[in-house]
Amino acid sequence: MDTTAKRIVKVLILFCILLGSLVLYLSYFEIFVVAKIQDNPYNKRQWMREEYVLRGSILDRNEKVLASSIKQDKQQIRNYPFKNLYSHVIGYSFKEYGKTAIEKNYNNQLLGIGNSPLTKVKDKIMGSDNMGNNVVLTIDHTLQKNADELLRGKKGSIVLMNPKTGEIYAMVSKPDFDPNTMRDDWQDIIENKESPLINRATTGLYTPGSVFKMITATSVMENNSNQNYFCEGKTNIGGYVLKDYHSIAHGNVDLEKALIYSCNVAFSQMGIELGEEKLKSTAQKYMFDKQIPFDIMSKKSIFSEEVKMTKTELGVSAIGQGKVLVTPLNMAMVASTIANDGNMMKPFLVKEIINSKNRIIKMQPPKILSHVTNKENANKLRDIMIQVVEVGTGKKAKIKNVRVAGKTGTAENGSDKEHAWFIGFAPANDPKVAIAVVLENEGKTGGTSAAPIAREILKNALNRVQ
Amino acid sequence: MMKKFLMNKMPQTLLVFVNILSMFLLYFYKERFDKSILISVILLVATIYISNYILLKISSGDHYLFLVVSMLSSIGIIMIYRLNPVYGFRQIIWFGVGIVFYFIFYFCVKRIKGWKKWLNGYFIISMILFVVTQVLGTKIKGATNWIRIGGIGIQPSEIIKIIFVFYLASYYTNYTKKANEKYKFLGVVYSYIAFLFIQRDLGTAMIFCFVFFIILYIYEEDRKLIYYQIIGGLIIGIVSSFLIHHVQVRFIAWFNPWEYIEKEGYQITQSLFAIGAGGFFGTGIGLGHPEFIPEVHTDFIFSAICEEMGIFGGIAVIMLFLILVYRGFKIALNQYDKFFKIVAIGITTTLGFQAFIIVGGVIKMIPLTGVTLPFVSYGGSSLVASFAALGILQVASEEIQMEQEEGDGYNS
Repeated sequence: MDTTAKRIVKVLILFCILLGSLVLYLSYFEIFVVAKIQDNPYNKRQWMREEYVLRGSILDRNEKVLASSIKQDKQQIRNYPFKNLYSHVIGYSFKEYGKTAIEKNYNNQLLGIGNSPLTKVKDKIMGSDNMGNNVVLTIDHTLQKNADELLRGKKGSIVLMNPKTGEIYAMVSKPDFDPNTMRDDWQDIIENKESPLINRATTGLYTPGSVFKMITATSVMENNSNQNYFCEGKTNIGGYVLKDYHSIAHGNVDLEKALIYSCNVAFSQMGIELGEEKLKSTAQKYMFDKQIPFDIMSKKSIFSEEVKMTKTELGVSAIGQGKVLVTPLNMAMVASTIANDGNMMKPFLVKEIINSKNRIIKMQPPKILSHVTNKENANKLRDIMIQVVEVGTGKKAKIKNVRVAGKTGTAENGSDKEHAWFIGFAPANDPKVAIAVVLENEGKTGGTSAAPIAREILKNALNRVQ
Repeated sequence: MMKKFLMNKMPQTLLVFVNILSMFLLYFYKERFDKSILISVILLVATIYISNYILLKISSGDHYLFLVVSMLSSIGIIMIYRLNPVYGFRQIIWFGVGIVFYFIFYFCVKRIKGWKKWLNGYFIISMILFVVTQVLGTKIKGATNWIRIGGIGIQPSEIIKIIFVFYLASYYTNYTKKANEKYKFLGVVYSYIAFLFIQRDLGTAMIFCFVFFIILYIYEEDRKLIYYQIIGGLIIGIVSSFLIHHVQVRFIAWFNPWEYIEKEGYQITQSLFAIGAGGFFGTGIGLGHPEFIPEVHTDFIFSAICEEMGIFGGIAVIMLFLILVYRGFKIALNQYDKFFKIVAIGITTTLGFQAFIIVGGVIKMIPLTGVTLPFVSYGGSSLVASFAALGILQVASEEIQMEQEEGDGYNS
């Protein structure tokens, strides 16, 4: 070949590279980029479909309508009959502000997009009725209303769930907003310093305080670590003086006594004796530092960042202070794990999806998310939690004729007002419901403020849930 | 008879099938009886079939080129028809006109001798065309590159593209190594590009640059000169991206269209939504919404193809261009006549690179420059000029009878 021919071939190769790169880029775009951009409000396609498909309804577990759409002069109006009550569970769907929560994550199902190819062909031939699918939640409307009323005027969150299946019965986050009037209130909502748009139940990160001791206690049992300590009311860890509530000295304590009286001194020593690795490993079994798969957006609870902990940090982490942060959902799951023989169930909000003719298209079966500990340890922890409610810090959660297991927490945080916590379940011998209550910056102990709220909800829940 | 027709493996038969099937799809999805669809199909199919047949009889050259291009045009017509039946019908007419021009150019270029001698002629004609555009031209999309004659808009730069290739070919065929000759040559080339810059036709300017570089790379003996040109070109490109607002906007829209989604980035993001909506297999013809993209039938036809025929449809179009480019360079390799060898390289490069920059532009791989996708986009000038170029390429694919006084092709 002469030089000219060689050069021509090289140019041909250049063209192969140029055109080949187009093919590669297109494939890359389709596989990695598309999912990120498709929901952009400027993509009119998603709204096109919404014009001719009637958006499906969202129902509670007893098929009470929580959100529905009606057609009015070719336009659809989304109606949320219970206003603020489901602002964080169901969310909203607006052209201007986008979508959140169930409205966002189940958008395709609500619009009937992605039904099986067979259905599509059938629709084409038979003519589609242009109705989206309905989403049935695991939420019980009565319990949700009840939880909402008990939290009224406060800041914080309640998560009520079935410990054996992972179904969420109620999920409340306060403050909230009314999606019906969002167009008018938008400015107020986004400028509100209390951030009503945030779903505290799944994305609010709180210092857990003493409720975290359930995790430390699990780790002590799992690792057969030392369970006996002496409490003088305060202790010095690496130069940092850690005190008990009112500096009360508990004397000789074992694990049971330490939990019942929520002894900080004993637990911080337990944490140090366990070491970071073991405590962290148990925390991660409880899904700390991990993304919990859930039907709406949720954040990871944080036990530790990558850096190694100092002795002081480890000591305070073991009692749920320091850098430890949790979501209320995760704490409800911690209570559920102990109620469910040490197995953590995957939490879920959507029970099933039914089409406009009431046929079930998809069901969500219960799934085990994590094996945290064995049945024996779980039962021991449960027995201690019963004692916490019977004689310890959680007395205000006691219900007549029903055994309640629980743990309180009073978490110090950046402000001078503590978060009040209660996690627990009932009935203790055959748990039907598990709960987490957190009152943000309540300034009172968990035993005095969160426990009575939990008690009311557990009591009502036991009457409704069979 | 029918069996024989079905068993016939001639590619144009397959093409006919593709066209009939896709028009049937169009008819099926549009759900309205439209006689014009029927007429269009018959017209299109007949044109493709007959011209392929004629070509087989008269040309001893490459027979794949025309088939590839027929397929590309078919895809374009189907898509344009689906977007707007009026435009679709017009495009079929333009397709017919394009084929007429194809044959006219084929015969003229083949019969008339002495193309390599008119170096100055090409230059003078192009400059006249440029000046005419500048004076009579109307502004469309920020670029002054259209003139209106009797209600029909013509884009002279489409014709100048071919003349430019002829100019380059003629220069290197007659090259005599005189120093001032080279400077004159460079001056002429840059005056082409400068004119395009003035008319804000950045896409075409890029194509001219690229064709110039490629031919320089293959034929220039002074290798250093090539690097100087490429470096110079890059510097001009970078400087203009900072100084000239028009160029700046393109870069902004490319770099982060999401931030300027309301204005500069609107078109490109709409294009990306369309491509994304199609997935690998497309929504099906008539089932997507490519009409959300402004100018979808011209510059953004590729996005519409991706939405309704899928990424695989898009890849098929790219592959057709790759075949076209491959055949083009193969023709260049086999051609002994130096002038037509360069012409073949020039035309192939023009078509291939134009396809690359517009496809790369609409998928946001490179900054967007508004040029048409050859043979596919809506537009008479583009289609006719592309077919004319193809007619010339067809000539180049045949053995050229040597003119008696110049037999250098064999000896060099």
